[in-house]
Amino acid sequence: MTGPGGVRLEGVVKRHGATTVLHGVDLAIEPGEFFVLLGPSGSGKTTTLRILAGLESVSAGRVLMDGADVTLQQPGERDVAMVFQSYALYPHMTVAQNIGFPLKMVRTARHDIERAVSAAAIKVGIGHLLQRTPGQLSGGQQQRCALARAIVRQPRLFLLDEPLSNLDAKLRLETRLELHRLQRSLGVTTVYVTHDQEEAMTLADRIAVFIDGRIVQVGTPREVYARPRTITVAGFIGTPPMNLIPGRWEGDAVIVGDERMPVATAGGPRAVMLGVRPGDLRIAERGLAAVVERIEDLGDSSILSFSAGDRLLKQKSDRLPAVREGETVRLDFAPETAHLFDPQSGGRL
Amino acid sequence: MNGSRPLRRIALALVAGSGLAVWAFPVLWGLLTSFKTERDVLAYPPVLVFTPTLDNYREVIFGASSIVPNLWSSFVVATAATLLTMLLAVPAGYALGRLRYPAKRASGFYVLATQMLPPVGLIIPYYLVLQKVGGLDTYGGLTVIYLTFSLPFAIWLLVSYFEDVPLEMEEAALLDRAGRLRTLWYVILPQVRGGIAVTTIFVFLNAWNEFMFAVVLGGNRVRPVTVAMFNFISVEQTQWARLAAGAMLAMAPVILIGIFAQRHIVKGLTVGAVKGGGRR
Repeated sequence: MTGPGGVRLEGVVKRHGATTVLHGVDLAIEPGEFFVLLGPSGSGKTTTLRILAGLESVSAGRVLMDGADVTLQQPGERDVAMVFQSYALYPHMTVAQNIGFPLKMVRTARHDIERAVSAAAIKVGIGHLLQRTPGQLSGGQQQRCALARAIVRQPRLFLLDEPLSNLDAKLRLETRLELHRLQRSLGVTTVYVTHDQEEAMTLADRIAVFIDGRIVQVGTPREVYARPRTITVAGFIGTPPMNLIPGRWEGDAVIVGDERMPVATAGGPRAVMLGVRPGDLRIAERGLAAVVERIEDLGDSSILSFSAGDRLLKQKSDRLPAVREGETVRLDFAPETAHLFDPQSGGRL
Repeated sequence: MNGSRPLRRIALALVAGSGLAVWAFPVLWGLLTSFKTERDVLAYPPVLVFTPTLDNYREVIFGASSIVPNLWSSFVVATAATLLTMLLAVPAGYALGRLRYPAKRASGFYVLATQMLPPVGLIIPYYLVLQKVGGLDTYGGLTVIYLTFSLPFAIWLLVSYFEDVPLEMEEAALLDRAGRLRTLWYVILPQVRGGIAVTTIFVFLNAWNEFMFAVVLGGNRVRPVTVAMFNFISVEQTQWARLAAGAMLAMAPVILIGIFAQRHIVKGLTVGAVKGGGRR
């Protein structure tokens, strides 16, 4: 059962004609949780958010909020607020009118609207812009205005559809922090859609990873990063993504080419996909032979690209390496940092 | 390089000036004619210097061939047709532009298809229908007939304006518990007001200038000004000066609307070109 602000999706299927967009999604979001739906474009995360909002109907399955079935309820009946990617501010209204609109629609008294609008605007830092129209605001201010409109009526659920994607990099970092603080101070259950895994990792209490209309993993950012359940998740989470090297698992090592790379768990013999995070790959005395293709100096860290046979491998290091482009080196990793996947099913072993 | 700029300006002014002259010549000629006597009108070669007279205006306003009742007829029919058209076209345009319902494409095409028939082919059926229901020579009858061409035109013009309003804005309003009607009223209509203004103007002007249906389906009671002006042309003679004075009077409201609504018309016409940009 879900408590106040709790949300549950049960076997939700969404079809557009012959195309199935969501293949039976099951999800339980806890009250007060900051829950991120993460996935590449077209993975079904925005459709899921729109189903929660009531803007899309389901082809099968149920949507529950606070334990009640809201599957057939209209958007306005669900007591949810949404911040759209484009902000969807009303261009002909002032900031104050935009923020106050949801309250006006439920016939709130005028002085109550004014008080609530002012409080919401101050909370997001646009208290001084109330008389402007959206066209007179910067992108960041528009985003705050959309947030204020969402929080003004204290809904039971916030839905945010890639709200930071239209901001520049610096503003995105600042707003991310503020968004997190705002959510914590309000304590409202929040569902946040993004394709940016860094945003997901930094904001979420838990993440659901969507691939091709299915949830492939749900967990805390740490869990999803440390123990990706499939090759696809492993390849999606992390910058740069995990190195995936085909090999053969024999006992406590994976044989890659002629090299024996020790791993923490014994098993096999069988074909395996060996996964190593770029941060766990080391230049060593022994190990897989590779040629340094490119060194990218990021100032505080560096990313090295290697070619090992027909594979491109990446290493991330917090200092500049003592190697040069074109040099042949050996690569290894600590046995406990290796991830092993079934190359056929893609599942974790 | 510097020398080419004034040259371009002059060339542009010449092109624009000659375009304007082609458009303005009949109007100016009509204006001059309206102040001439019938003798001056028919003088050959034409006289450019003449003693102006207000007799023609006096005649078409206060005289036996006054067109004031006809201006009133035109006003009533055009206003009624415009109001009814907009009342029906706004929700229809919204539905066609936005809602998902069965046979939407078919109904959209049907609306358009009614515009494909040549109006002259419809006069006889319309005449027979109106005769059967007692609608000949009545304001109601003529207004309903005007709806048959103004409504499809208005709906199709408005659809493009409704389609330009971002869907997310409407969804935001629905989530804000506005409901469909209040979303339309508070969020959509204010954003398409430029389009509504320009459509209203075009519908009114089309109705005001309409002649063919008016001459056949009108009569002694309902005779719009376009028909009344036609009556200055008869087998015995054409009263050019009175006709010109009548034409000037009939044009006056059109020109006034054009001047007052110029901003809306230009804005409304450019919206389609730059998506969403014109209305902000």
